[in-house]
Parts: sequence; C-alpha cells; structure tokens
Amino acid sequence: MRLLSLLAAFSSLLSLSVAQKTHKYHTLVELSSSGKGPKGTIVLTDNNYNDLTNAPRNYSAVVLFTAMDQRFGCTLCRDFQPEFDLIGSSWNKQHPNQDGLFFGVLDFSNGKQTFQRLQMSTAPIMMLFPATTTGSPADHVPLRYDFNPNDVNAAESVARWVSSHTKHNVTINRPFNYAKFFTMVIGIIGTATMSKLAYPYLAPALYSRNLWAALSLVAVLLFTSGHMFNHIRKVPYVVQGRNGGVSYIAGGFSNQFGLETQIIAVVYAVLAFSSIALCLKMPRIESAGNQKIAVMAWNLVLLVMFSFLMSVFKMKNSGYPFFLPPLIA
Amino acid sequence: MAPVKPSFFKDPASTQNVRAILRVVILLTIAAASISSRLFSVIRFESIIHEFDPWFNFRASKYLVKNGFFDFWNWFDDRTWYPLGRVTGGTLYPGLMVTSGAIWHMLRMISLPVDIRNICVLLAPGFSGLTAFATYLFTKEMKDSSAGLLAAAFMGIAPGYISRSVAGSYDNEAIAIFLLMFTFYLWIKAAKLGSALWGGLCALFYFYMVSAWGGYVFITNLIPLHVFVLILMGRYSGRIYVAYSSWYALGTLASMQIPFVGFLPIRTSEHMAALGIFGLIQLVAFVDYLRGQVPSKQFNTLLRALVILIAIVAFSGLVLLTVTGVIAPWSGRFYSLWDTGYAKIHIPIIASVSEHQPTAWPSFFFDLNFLIWLFPAGVYLCFRQLRDEHVFVVVYSVMASYFSGVMVRLMLTLTPIVCVAAAITVSSILDTYLEIDSPEEPDPDAEHKKPKKEKVKEVGGSPGGFLSSKAPYIGIYSITSKIAVVAAFSVYLVLFVLHCTWVTSNAYSSPSVVLASRMPDGSQHIIDDFREAYYWLRKNTPYDAKVMSWWDYGYQIGGMADRTTLVDNNTWNNTHIATVGKAMASGEAVSYEILRKHEVDYVLVIFGGLLGYSGDDINKFLWMVRIAEGVWPDEVQERKFFTARGEYKVDGDATDTMKNSLMYKMSYYNYQSLFPPGQAQDRVRGAKLPAEGPVLHTLDEAFTSENWIVRIYKVKDLDAFGRDHFSVTAFEGGKKKAKKGGLGGRAAGKRGRRVLRV
Repeated sequence: MRLLSLLAAFSSLLSLSVAQKTHKYHTLVELSSSGKGPKGTIVLTDNNYNDLTNAPRNYSAVVLFTAMDQRFGCTLCRDFQPEFDLIGSSWNKQHPNQDGLFFGVLDFSNGKQTFQRLQMSTAPIMMLFPATTTGSPADHVPLRYDFNPNDVNAAESVARWVSSHTKHNVTINRPFNYAKFFTMVIGIIGTATMSKLAYPYLAPALYSRNLWAALSLVAVLLFTSGHMFNHIRKVPYVVQGRNGGVSYIAGGFSNQFGLETQIIAVVYAVLAFSSIALCLKMPRIESAGNQKIAVMAWNLVLLVMFSFLMSVFKMKNSGYPFFLPPLIA
Repeated sequence: MAPVKPSFFKDPASTQNVRAILRVVILLTIAAASISSRLFSVIRFESIIHEFDPWFNFRASKYLVKNGFFDFWNWFDDRTWYPLGRVTGGTLYPGLMVTSGAIWHMLRMISLPVDIRNICVLLAPGFSGLTAFATYLFTKEMKDSSAGLLAAAFMGIAPGYISRSVAGSYDNEAIAIFLLMFTFYLWIKAAKLGSALWGGLCALFYFYMVSAWGGYVFITNLIPLHVFVLILMGRYSGRIYVAYSSWYALGTLASMQIPFVGFLPIRTSEHMAALGIFGLIQLVAFVDYLRGQVPSKQFNTLLRALVILIAIVAFSGLVLLTVTGVIAPWSGRFYSLWDTGYAKIHIPIIASVSEHQPTAWPSFFFDLNFLIWLFPAGVYLCFRQLRDEHVFVVVYSVMASYFSGVMVRLMLTLTPIVCVAAAITVSSILDTYLEIDSPEEPDPDAEHKKPKKEKVKEVGGSPGGFLSSKAPYIGIYSITSKIAVVAAFSVYLVLFVLHCTWVTSNAYSSPSVVLASRMPDGSQHIIDDFREAYYWLRKNTPYDAKVMSWWDYGYQIGGMADRTTLVDNNTWNNTHIATVGKAMASGEAVSYEILRKHEVDYVLVIFGGLLGYSGDDINKFLWMVRIAEGVWPDEVQERKFFTARGEYKVDGDATDTMKNSLMYKMSYYNYQSLFPPGQAQDRVRGAKLPAEGPVLHTLDEAFTSENWIVRIYKVKDLDAFGRDHFSVTAFEGGKKKAKKGGLGGRAAGKRGRRVLRV
C-alpha cells in the first residue's frame, strides 16, 4: 500500500515533469511558428533565453547573438540576418513541428544581461546547443560557429555545419526572388521603351563624336588612375592621420586611398588637356601676342603638374631618384 | 607614306632617299637600345633563366632540341604531377619552344652551334627589337612615320614591356607581344585595303600568336569588337567584310590545329564574340548587297525586320547552347576579369597569384612614366580624324585600360597602345613646334574675310566638326614659344629615358633565382640559396626521388634539380594542389599519411625568416590553407590559423593548429638553435619566437641552405619495429639530444660565408 502510494506519487511527478517538458516544447514550437519575427525563428529576450537553452534539452537549438541596431555598426550582423531567417523558415516549412531543432535570435537590445553574463563583447556569434539526450557530457557545451565574411551563401554553410553536429539534416530552400525578377523585366521593358521614345532626341548626341571622346577619355583616366583597385580592394576614401590631420596619400607603393586616385586622375587629365591644347588649340590662335602668352601658360601648367606628379610619386616610393624642378619633394 | 610638309626641307622628293636611310638607321638604333637595356641581368649575374615559368619553358625547349619535334608533340611527362603525370605536348603553347628550337637549328646550319640556354636567355631581348619595329609599322598607319619612330622608341624601352622581356625571362610573353602588335598591324592593313591577302597574313600571325600565348583571346575579342563598333557607326564596307571574313575563317581553322586549343574556338564563350560578329557581318553584307539591287522602301523595312529576327534567333540560340552546356561558360580566369569579386570567393588558386592582383596607380606610373598622361591625349587626337584604324586605337585603349586596372599582369597588353597613343601626341606637338617657318600675322582688315574660306576647307577634312580643331590651322608665330615647348618636351623625354633605365636596372633585372643584396660597404653580395639547394637535390638524392613543395617551386625543381615533383606552376589540377596544401597545413599524423600515399621522399620549404626574404612559404601559407579548405572544408579551416583576435601570428601567440602544422614545424625546426636562448627572431614577420622550437616526428632535416632560405626534409621510412613515429621519438628521447648537439654545431650561425660544405 505504502509502496503503491509512493509509486503513484513518483509516477505523477514523472508525468508532471513530462507534462512540463512537453509544455515547454509546445511553447517553443508555438513561438517558432507564430510569435514575433519571421516564421521558424524565435525572437529571444533575457526572459526566455534560459527556457530555450537550459539543460536538460530533448532538442537542439541554434542561437544567433546579434546587434542589429544602427548604433553598433555591425554590418556582418545585418548581412547575415536574412540568411539566418532563411534557415529558420526553410526548416519550419519542412518540419512544421520543428522536430527537435529550434532557431533563436537574441538581439543585444533585448538581451543585455545575457550578453553580459556570457561575457560577449562581439557580434554576431552563433552557438549550437545540442540535445542532452545522449548523456555525454560534451552535449552540455555549446558549439560556436566561425563566420566567414566573404561567404555569399552563408545559409548553406550554416546548414552544413548544423547537419554535421546534430542528427538533423538541414536543407535550404532559397525562395525565388520575384521582386528581383520583376524589377529586371520591368527595367528591360522600361529601358527599351525609353530608348525608343527618346531616340529622336538622343540620336544627335549618340552620333556626337565629342560625347564618345569624352566618355572614352573618362574611362581611360578612371582605369589608369587605379579606380579598379579601389573597387576591388574597397580602400578607404581618406584616413585619419596620427596627429588629428587627414592623410590623403597612402604610404607605400602598392597602396592607395580613394581621394588619392581622384587627385591623380585630375592631374592626368590636366596634363593630357594641356598637351592637347598645345598641339591643337595653340596653332589656331590668330593673334601672335595672345598665342605667345597662351603657349607659355600651358607649358607652365604642364611643367608644374608633371612636377607635382613626380613629387607625389616620390612620396610613395622613397627610393625614386628623379624629380622635376619646381616642386622637389 | 604621309605627305611631308615642304617647310623643313625645301623639296621632299629630293630628300626621300636620305629620309629612308635615316629611318632605317634610327630603327636599328632603337632595336639596339631595346636589346641592350634588357641585358642588365646577364651582365650583373650571368646568362641564367629567371623566375618560375621560364624554367619549364627551358626544360621543354631542351626536350624539343634533344628529341625532335614529333616526340615533343607527343611528350608525356611522368616527372611532374606525380603520380598523375602530364600530357605536356598537348597542354602547352608550343610557339615559344618551337621558335627557339628553329633558331637553334638555323644557327647550327650556318655552323654556329650555340647552346640552347643562350638562345632561350636572349630570345626575349631579340624579339623586343622586332616588337619595336612592329609598333613602328602600326603607328605609321595611324599617323606618319615620325610618330612611328617615336612609338618604336617608347616601346623599346617602356618598363611595362621590359618587365616581361629582360634577358632570361624566357616566357610566352617574350614573343607574344611582338606577335600581338604585328597581328594588329596586319589587321589594320587588311581593313584599310580590304585585301584578302593581308587578311590571310593576319590569320597566319594570329595562328602563331595562338600557338605562343593564352592571351591570344585578347585579339580574338578585340578585332570583332572593332568590326562591331564600325558596323554600329554605319561604317560597314566591303573592305571590312573581306578583311574580317578572311581573318576569321582562316585564323580560326588555323588556331584549332594547336592541340591545347582544339575545339575551344567553337565551344567556349570567350570565342563566341568572334563567331557572332562573323555571322553578323554576313547578314550585314547580304542586306547591303540586296539594298543595292532592290531599291524599294517596303522591301527595306521587311529586310530590316528579317535581319533583327535572325539576330535575335541566333543570339538566343547561343544563350540556349550555353545554358545546356554545349558551349562552355566563361572560364574562371576570364570571368574574374568582369566579376572582380568572383575569383577571391570561388577560385582561390587564381586569386593567390600575385600577378592577378588589381593595379594601384603607382604601378602605372612606374611602368609607363609620362606616357601615361600622354596616352589620353593621344586617344583624343585619334577622335579628331577618326578613320577606321583610329576607331581600333580607341577601342583597344579603353579595353586594355580596364583589363590592366583589374590585373597587374595585363599591363603588358596596355603598354603597346600607350606607346602608340603617346607617340601620336608627342609627334603632333613636335610637328607643330619644330616648324621653322613662322606664319605671317594676318592683316586685321582682312581678318573677317579670310578665315571663313579656310574654315570650310579645314572642316571638310573632318565631317561633323570637332572641338578644338574648328578654327583654321595657322601655326606658331613666336620662336620663343617654339623653343620653350620643344625644350620642355626634350626634358621630359630625357627624364623618361632615365626613368626607364633606372626602373629596368632596379626592379626588373633580378632573376629571382639568385638574389642580390648590398653589403654595408656597398659591395654586392649574391645570395644563391636556391641553386645551392637544387644542386644538392640533384647530387644527393636518387634520380627517381619525389619532392613535394608548394606549386611555385615545381618548375624550378624540375628544371634545376631534375627531380619528380607533385605539383608545379601549371596549375591544372586544383585537387592535387589542395592535397599538397592539406599536407602542409595539417598536423604530422595526417600529413605523414598523405606523404606516404604519394610516395614522397623529400619535402622542400622556403623560409625567409633568417634573411628577411618576404616571399617565403609562411607568407604564402594562408593560400595553401584556403586552397585546401576549398576541397576539404571540414579538415582544414582558415579560421583556425588566426588567433582569437583575428591575427596571423607565428610567435608564442600562434594558434595550436598553426604550431602543429607541418609547414610551421618545417620552417622553424631547429631555428631557435641559431640564437641565444629565448632570442629567436623571425625577420620577415618581425616576431619573437617561443624559446621551445617545434619537434618533428616523421621527417628528418636533410639539408638547409646557407641563408636558410631553402630547407629540405627527408620523409622517414616506416619504423623497423612497426611503431608509430611519435612513440619512436618519445622512446629515443635520450638519443635525440646527442643528435641535436650535432645539428646545433652545424647551425651555430656565425660560420664563414664561403665555407665548403660536404
């Protein structure tokens, strides 16, 4: 009798804990599929963070610690967020009951205390809390994901990572980008219509030699002054110098700043146009006096600009032995 | 020949012979100057092949002259890419080797038995003289022979071209730039004359170019682009049709005879532009013909609709074929030219090569000096007349500027057109300011009558009118202005020559196989570690020993040490390279298995820490990791080589993965013994190394060169008692110390510089 009551008490306790467990699981499933944020991810706060991550767990959880607020200037967070949402929604679509894998996002503004408690000073951080059902102590230690900023298909990499560390097989369904498709179609139709309508007005410009000359020269100047380097290496425009000033010219031969290349492009342009002026414009000036002054002026501009160019180059390449008189760096 | 103004010499006809002789003399002088300025390295060092790729070309040339052409054609090389081997005859551009082989045979025929090495070393300077001549011909078609001579002189000494053609730089580019310029000259000639003969000649040289350099694709796309622009401008003519059709048909058929090219011209996207334009020009020609026959307006409209329809069908057919995979999409190397971020993400092996980096502006100025700002002016001058050939210069300029901005290496294709455009500018300026006769100042009364007439005459030359040349040409009145401008430009020209000489001598004349440094007293000290190590390999290892190294050194090991390599600079098999990367980046247990499986006997690493040589393997190491990661993302991870703060370190803070990697261990093994305890320092990375050096279990140090640049390790055989190597080293702990003492004595550092080593 006594034994029976004990057994009854124990079994009720067990069922209670099971009920609690299933209750917690159902809440999480509900939070995943409804709740705030996109479908498939749970928007976490300080309050429910522990609910999701505390052991024992009969499910795995992937938590992204992020800082989306503009103030933190975390571009990687903002770049990665849509990818993370995509993983969550893909999983949710294939497994409406989550089937033992949850995705949660804890933003710094919702979870300052958790960030402090975990001593996190950087974002984004992503952790995988494996299910604690196997009983191995390793399950209690969350795994950390290494972000690769250059990853274009980050969602796929994360899915691979999750799949390799849990029993779940996560696949990504990238939705067809209708917005992009329609913008492109409308763009093409629009451009075609516009060019058809504008053709009579644009035709003279299209056949204008001056326009094409200008375009070619701009292209040539842009490319020869290192624009593609800026574009590929994403160099800063200017850099704050040591003593408060701004440095325009990057030190070192294979390095440059945005503004620096623009200065160089302008210098090249001035030099090129003074030589054009010297060989085309000057011999067409009718008055001898004016011509003499103009020739001297352009010649001087050429000299000073070239000298400036040489001095800038010498600044970049300190071993360079040559210079041109007016400006000696 | 362009008409010469009769002002300088009273009668141009009487001085014609003198001019011709002068031209020949000047061209010969230019050729002599361009050859001699490329000989710095031969004079300073010796007649030696430079860098990496030339070593392979040299080895192939030796094979060619030894075994004959047909053996060369069918050459299967089992001493590279072990254990795969390489079908060398079918996977190389044979133009270079065949050229030097032909020269070698020719010299033998006239009883001048020259060593093939000397021919290889001097081939590039020799061809630079021809390039100058080709540039002269090309520019002469653009303006006149005086501009041509200037262009030839510029081309002869411009560092942008010298960088790839100094003596010893026996690479495909050595002859390819000459072929490029000459093919373009023949194309211009063909388009001007509408002659199938010139078109056929152009195709012939195009074939030579295809056989010599992968950069032939530049021609394959530039000529169609020129034709396309001409058609868009409404300048279609029978001349263009004849020139293009004969060039394309003959050139493509000829280019397909090179085994390495094969069916690429009809199967890949790089070549589709040429094919598409070939179709288009047939259509345009057809329409043009019909228009001449049937003048009905309605018929014209119908025809136009038909043409547009055919064009759309053809284009969508191309797209369909590309999508279904019949036509290969753009190959990675070409695709990365357009989508500049592509290579970095998808093909690290392309992004890892330093020649494939974008170009910063100082490089442009360094390679071209004042030509770089004369270049836009020259392009502008081409717009003034804008004949068909000037359109070519404009198209070439814009495309080449873009490409050279994306890839340092393509500076080479930009240099010729910069020289041409700059020569046009300089010669226009000199034409104007070197005229001795000054014009009379117009009578102020007659002023408003006279110019109008002249204006009509002048504008007639260039329809539509053009900025800055609308007013009539008068000339320069004052002799002072003339002297000032001519003097200024003479100074610039002299400066250019000085600059070129300095750049050539300082930057482009190092063989990189032999390094030179200055001693404190100013005398030159030669660092010859590479050859020392390769010679050691050649003399002390069995002929069939397999040497593993990073792919950069594959050609050199093959050429100088004559040993079998696992990977080399012909990077055709990414997985095999990644295997080597993985072996270098993993711990010894993993690496040893890879080494055993590939039957590697020796591992060679380059280490610059002692000397401060920055091009060493630790600095290239991240690329090995990245390439390995591309194939085995689970086993090799770049992230693990960075400290928690995201730094790449080799000192005490280095990550465990870094410290345990084979590359790290091989680089720093025993290095600490050179310094007093705890003072070991890496001079490249400026890092203080941990007091305790790495321990190697599976490799034995076999050889370390004088300045520690090359270190060679022998892979241990399996243990005689069947133990694994880790327990062997643990067991032999006591013995090891004695051995270390011996090594310490060898490496104790301050040995005399020229002590003989056994």
